[in-house]
Amino acid sequence: MSKIKKKRVGFVLDMTPLVDIAFLLLTFFMFTAKFKSDTENEQKFQIQRPRASADTSKVPEKDLAMIKIGIDTVTNDTAYYYSLSNEQDRKVVYNSDKVQLSDEARQKVILKVTDLKVLEALLKQTRMANLRMKFAIDADRRVQYKWIEDLTNVMRLSNATVFNFVTDRPS
Amino acid sequence: MGGGGGGLAAAPKVKRGSFATVRKKKKRVGFVLDMTPLVDIAFLLLTFFMLSTTLTTPQTMEMSVPPETENVEVKQSELLTVLVRDDGQIFKFIGDKKTNPPEKVNLKDIRALSVNENMRLENKLILSLRISNKVPYGMVINLLDELNIAETEITQRLTVKGMKRERKFALTPLTDEDKADLKDL
Repeated sequence: MSKIKKKRVGFVLDMTPLVDIAFLLLTFFMFTAKFKSDTENEQKFQIQRPRASADTSKVPEKDLAMIKIGIDTVTNDTAYYYSLSNEQDRKVVYNSDKVQLSDEARQKVILKVTDLKVLEALLKQTRMANLRMKFAIDADRRVQYKWIEDLTNVMRLSNATVFNFVTDRPS
Repeated sequence: MGGGGGGLAAAPKVKRGSFATVRKKKKRVGFVLDMTPLVDIAFLLLTFFMLSTTLTTPQTMEMSVPPETENVEVKQSELLTVLVRDDGQIFKFIGDKKTNPPEKVNLKDIRALSVNENMRLENKLILSLRISNKVPYGMVINLLDELNIAETEITQRLTVKGMKRERKFALTPLTDEDKADLKDL
């Protein structure tokens, strides 16, 4: 009888170090977490970036004009997608008379561009609005090189001769 | 009597004393708080942030294109041309293609080729890349990446020799003439 009564009902474990580490990790992930921007919310495609091991520089966050070349997941067609990181510049550039856009498109954050003339006008207006603007090309690795070639030609015409290709580190 | 009295007197003393020690022992050293809900929420948030963050941030490869007006004269002997055909096959020739017909090269050998040719001509070599517009973009980046890796080695070797690396590089489309040349290779 007495033996049965002696059975342990519970035991005590010091959880303090565990909780310490858990909170440490929690704060780390909370501070490093970055949430999707408006631009990414509007986008209907996923970019499979090309992999390059020699690159070390990061994508600038401020004064960035991003030209994405993505393949739409539903319709499977390729198009240029233009976006600016700076909201003020975005308003100026998108509402410029020199850029031919529909009123609906002017309200958007990310512009789908299929006409190279429109893209050229956008790039020129962007250069005018902000001279410190940096250009980045974020293209899917499956698109034909023709898209990049056309784009670089347009960039050359708009005097945006220095730009960045966005790549991923090989896993 | 005295002993009895002492005993009588001592008895309450002991009682009082024992009472006092019980009270002293009752003083709380710490307190127990049930941390389970706190820990639950902490772990919930932890898993959320862990799963929602992407640790790999994209990198960039800097490129520049010459402005429209620029037209540079090039010595043919200092020109290394790398061509990429529609099917992604890479070819190279040095100087004039009539005397030096294009040869097939593998992507793996591009790095060594660039290093060797650059060391032979020390800073004078001009690399011309002619890429077919039907090649996937990823392949072009792979090629540029190989050249960038070669670039670090060239820079290192030239600094040992006391020279400053100047990279000369042109990215141009593949012409119809090139396509015809490469067709049967």
